[in-house]
Amino acid sequence: MRYRLNRLAPQLALAPAAIIALVAFIGAIAWTVYVSFTRSRRLPESAIDFSRPFRQYDRLFQDNAWSISLTNLIVLALGSALAIVFGFILAAMIERERRGEDFFRTVFLYPLAVSLIVTGVAWRWIFNPDLGLQNFMHGLGFTGVHFNWLAEGETAMYAVIIASVWQSSGFYLALMLAGLKGINEEIWNAARLDGVSLVRVYIEIIIPMMKFTFLTCAILLSLGVIKAYDIIVAMTNGGPGQSTWVPAYFTINAMTQRGNLGYASAAATMMLLITLAVFLPLVLLTAWQQRLARKAAA
Amino acid sequence: MTDPLAVRPAIRVSAGAQEKPVIFPRRKPRINGRSIAILVFLAMAAAFYCIPLYVLVVTSFKTMEQIRQGAIFALPTEWTWEPWNFAWNEACSGITCEGLKIGFWNSVKILIPSLVASISLSAVTGYALALWNVKWAGTFLFVLFMAAFVPFQIIMFPLIQLTVHLGIYGSLWAVAFIHTVMTMPIVTLIFRNYYKDIPDELIKAAMIDSGSFWRIFGEIILPMSANILIVVLIMQITHIWNDYLIGVTFGGPGGQPMTVNLANLVTVSTGTVSYNANMAAALLTAIPPLVIYFVLGKFFVQGISAGAIKG
Repeated sequence: MRYRLNRLAPQLALAPAAIIALVAFIGAIAWTVYVSFTRSRRLPESAIDFSRPFRQYDRLFQDNAWSISLTNLIVLALGSALAIVFGFILAAMIERERRGEDFFRTVFLYPLAVSLIVTGVAWRWIFNPDLGLQNFMHGLGFTGVHFNWLAEGETAMYAVIIASVWQSSGFYLALMLAGLKGINEEIWNAARLDGVSLVRVYIEIIIPMMKFTFLTCAILLSLGVIKAYDIIVAMTNGGPGQSTWVPAYFTINAMTQRGNLGYASAAATMMLLITLAVFLPLVLLTAWQQRLARKAAA
Repeated sequence: MTDPLAVRPAIRVSAGAQEKPVIFPRRKPRINGRSIAILVFLAMAAAFYCIPLYVLVVTSFKTMEQIRQGAIFALPTEWTWEPWNFAWNEACSGITCEGLKIGFWNSVKILIPSLVASISLSAVTGYALALWNVKWAGTFLFVLFMAAFVPFQIIMFPLIQLTVHLGIYGSLWAVAFIHTVMTMPIVTLIFRNYYKDIPDELIKAAMIDSGSFWRIFGEIILPMSANILIVVLIMQITHIWNDYLIGVTFGGPGGQPMTVNLANLVTVSTGTVSYNANMAAALLTAIPPLVIYFVLGKFFVQGISAGAIKG
């Protein structure tokens, strides 16, 4: 009897989580993908229109706002990659120097604890043309500098990138620091004996050794960029015009402002496909690492 | 950009301290030119990182007259609490003008049930997956791993319908419920990775010793979980407190957390903008997670980096 109880209890304990996974994740995803093939507008429609099942996608690919969103997604991803670069440089310096490690880490990581809405408020204030950094620089006599980035479509995205790099580089710093600390001191001793410069040690030995860390950072960054929504709302709310729209913003806008469910579902499905394209390498990476670890153990 | 939640699968905190990465001891280098250059560079970078916080703080204590003069980095000539008082008690969010205190208490009321529900659910699920032979555990783990990365937008509308059917849409309970659902996969994975390093012998011995599923959890597993519980607790508090999207989608007019109030406050552009009150409001929203971060930073960092990236 006890034996059977022991088999039943774990399954019962797993039931709530399993129901959540089935309903709120698998079921909900299937529902959204399905609706993206219907003609749903404000309310969901249950019938797929087989004469033109891809109507929402056709419209989506012809929509200028969607192509702006995709372009911005790439710009944002490339720009945010600076966070990994800064994270690595700062981590390498902190790790080599070792004095003040706790202090510097605390300072570089605090933006992570703050809401992106707050981040947006702070940076919008700095970019304020009349009272912010531009005004300050002009006061110093640099009247040529131009920091009114948020008001112009061509530069607004760069302001968003600066804020997001500020917010996230501490995260990559923490991951890099953990990776650097696992590297054997012998490498530096050997390099010193050979008279190799520190920069070359980093470029030729340390960075190749940390390829998993860099790959993981890159994948996590891409997944984070796809979800970018709060920072856009807080910095620009998509503007000026549609110049800072990203897919996450586009999808919510299609749902709440345009009230077009089928269209929003098509955009959401595209977001899922982009996520999968990033996610599959993560799965492969995990499998690869585990194989290497097993080989090393054997 | 980095939603701490989005990246949690990289986190591996293990039950056995022996699992921590080997740290090679290193002599402190002597002070030399290179050290000084590095320290100067780091200090400058640190100063750059502090600029947004500094600007928020000084602006929130300035009078509007001083702000209009434009020196953004200047200290307040006369310090005033008035903007803080205004932000807390009178600032408008949408149609109500009762200040951020409404949102603050809403956030607290969202936070507590979300924490209790998500941590207990995920701890039990992680324990069952890690230590008990359940046939479909492998498949379930993979589903959870996928679910942890799903963008919110793709499940947003079905979840709205679900909460409408449950009769909680537009309330604090809906926000708490959705937080529990959305964080379940990742928190479960964290607990599972922590518990899977507990030696099998321990559980086998406990089972022979007439331990049932729940007794083993209560008497053996929970007492071992203090470290992981505090790491997860801090992650969840900062994540849920800082959330905007779920609050604005599910909260309705009466259930908006503080971040939504703040966003409403700073994006309205009618009349003259009280920048000092906006900055005070932003700081009020940021203070709870910042206090936790500065007091318990070790655990916060552990959540991100402890044994990270083991695949």
